[in-house]
Amino acid sequence: MDINYQFLLKTFYLVLAAVPMTLNITVVSLLIATPLAFYLAVVRLRPGKYLRRLISAYVTFVRGTPIVLQILMIYSVLPSFLNSICKGFGWEINVFDWNPILYAYIVFSLNTAALLCEVFRSALGSIDKGQLEASLCAGLTSWQAYRHILIPQALVVALPNICNITVNLIKGTSLAFLMTVKDMTAVAKVAASYGYNYIEAYMDVFVAYVIVCSAVQFFFNFAENHIGKFRLIKQK
Amino acid sequence: MRPFNPQFILDVLPNLLPFLWVTLAVVAGTIFFGSLLGFLLAWAKASGQPRWRSLANAYTYTIRCTPPIVLLFIIFYGLPKFCLEVFAVNINSYDKIFFVIVTFTLLFAASVSEVMRSAYEAIDRGQYEAAVSIGLTPWQAFYHIVMPQATVVALPNFGNSVINLMKEGSLAYTIGLVDLIGQGQLIIAQHYGAFALETYLALAFMYLLLTLGVEQSFLRLEHAFSQHKKAA
Amino acid sequence: MLKITNIHKKYHENEVLKGVSVTVDKGDVVVILGPSGSGKTTLLRCLNFLDRADQGEMEFDEYHLQLAGASASEVRKIRQKTAFVFQNYNLFHNKTVLENVTTGLTIGRGVEKQQAIEIGRKALAKVGLADREAYYPSQLSGGQQQRVGIARAIAVQPDVILFDEPTSALDPELIGEVLAIIKQLAMEGTTMVIVTHEMRFAADVASHVIFMADGNIVEEGPPEEIFLRPKEERTRSFLRRILPPMEYNI
Repeated sequence: MDINYQFLLKTFYLVLAAVPMTLNITVVSLLIATPLAFYLAVVRLRPGKYLRRLISAYVTFVRGTPIVLQILMIYSVLPSFLNSICKGFGWEINVFDWNPILYAYIVFSLNTAALLCEVFRSALGSIDKGQLEASLCAGLTSWQAYRHILIPQALVVALPNICNITVNLIKGTSLAFLMTVKDMTAVAKVAASYGYNYIEAYMDVFVAYVIVCSAVQFFFNFAENHIGKFRLIKQK
Repeated sequence: MRPFNPQFILDVLPNLLPFLWVTLAVVAGTIFFGSLLGFLLAWAKASGQPRWRSLANAYTYTIRCTPPIVLLFIIFYGLPKFCLEVFAVNINSYDKIFFVIVTFTLLFAASVSEVMRSAYEAIDRGQYEAAVSIGLTPWQAFYHIVMPQATVVALPNFGNSVINLMKEGSLAYTIGLVDLIGQGQLIIAQHYGAFALETYLALAFMYLLLTLGVEQSFLRLEHAFSQHKKAA
Repeated sequence: MLKITNIHKKYHENEVLKGVSVTVDKGDVVVILGPSGSGKTTLLRCLNFLDRADQGEMEFDEYHLQLAGASASEVRKIRQKTAFVFQNYNLFHNKTVLENVTTGLTIGRGVEKQQAIEIGRKALAKVGLADREAYYPSQLSGGQQQRVGIARAIAVQPDVILFDEPTSALDPELIGEVLAIIKQLAMEGTTMVIVTHEMRFAADVASHVIFMADGNIVEEGPPEEIFLRPKEERTRSFLRRILPPMEYNI
């Protein structure tokens, strides 16, 4: 098979150069989604029927529709919507000049938050009720109890699922090119279109994704082994 | 900003509906071939032979690290060239749905092989031992005793894999297959970009119905197969 | 009828069976006793190839084979002549009681369904569970499940039934019903090899007792000899630890 090895190598470096962009989207989305998801998970555990239903509907929507559709929806609507708001306030801002990565952050945060909300809900649910009771008796407010006692424990329980979601998020960011973000897939597509070297370009990006995902899984394995220490001590 | 026209959501549904069959055909084809391949992979993983096990595990790991759209492009651009050079078969003129099904079969098989393997391993070995101890062959023991029980265990996760497949399969439009989303994009283009949100909402609604339908079906199946689990 | 010679088995570096030989004649009830880790369960499981011995010979009626290299068809033939009753019953969860009992006949031996059902019902009647034939194992008590397990073994009409600690997983009040059935089988002349901790029962039912420890047979003989006049110190210390000094029905 005639593979253009020179192109293969050159494009690989180009793709690697775009890895930070992919990680950028992933990390920022996780940073936004995690506290949001915890908040939603905790709210769902408390009384307040309408709020719970709203969150439930949001989670069902995110989990029941393809992420591609979510991207298309946000990207087709949000820019012009923001534009109208700016015009309405009379601000002279050109929304369409904004870095499209903003929209990537929004889509992937909202998507990940819904998935994480489910994970945190079950993780929080698996923590012994006595932990909350003891915290309240010791004088903590409900929110303090969650912040200092329950959520840290839930995080450890949830780590394997968080790893899964992170890997899926990284794979999901491969669709960011639909929003004109220059991530790994976008770089590959552009490079391929010059000389029609599609196969080499996509093989490159495929290998790059395997490397990135492997690194992430390795990182999570390491985290699981170290952060979960209090559980091991308890079992002794 | 152009006004939001909720009526359009309902109006566009009849234009989208015929293309539901394309989406469903992709899903059905993938489930069929993907389950077969997944079964082979699960067999390899559960077998005692390290060579096959490593191979199957390596395949699963690699595929699970691959974004579906990247795999789709690789198959779409690479498979014709590969078939031409290795088998001297020209598949360039094959319908796009072929490439879509091949891609998602590879993805689905990896996910489903894990489901099957863990369900198989969840069944107590004693069931197999009891079966062979009264004279069944190993294959009979597997087919009549172990597999029915493993199927019940696997059902919820298999259902999850199907739902994920439906969602990932929506990427088929990027190589030009006119399925639900493909048709949606065409409609939006026909209106010069107007009514994009309305069309997408209609599509979202259809997908929600599909995923809900699959979820409920699998719950029913689980219930039907679990008759033997009721306690005294 | 059944003779095992010089069986050896190793698990990793641990030698579990160190050259054991056993002879079982038709109508015998052989009881194997011993502390845990003595290899008695492994020995039983090697008899129908649930575990594979590393070395040894088997003579079973007209079959003569090497335990280590036995082919799949040889294994199948031996399994057709034996049946196994497990410590944790291992009833088929996805089948009714009657189906559990007839599976060995219909699927394993190609017996016609109606005939199998008749044989199965007779077996269930024998263990006193004829009225439960449509139940699922999850709906039965431990004792009832084990009795179904025994019915399942009887139904295939084996030459010898192997029992692996049949009552060890049962609540104390359920043990009696299972032992009663085994005793009845013994009185009818069924050939059995039983691994058990129930000493009084062993003394009652056995025609031949084997005491094992550390992978070897320490002592064997008729129950009177082993229980009342044990020759080896190892046997004596085992019996002392397990049993209060009592009379046995021999």
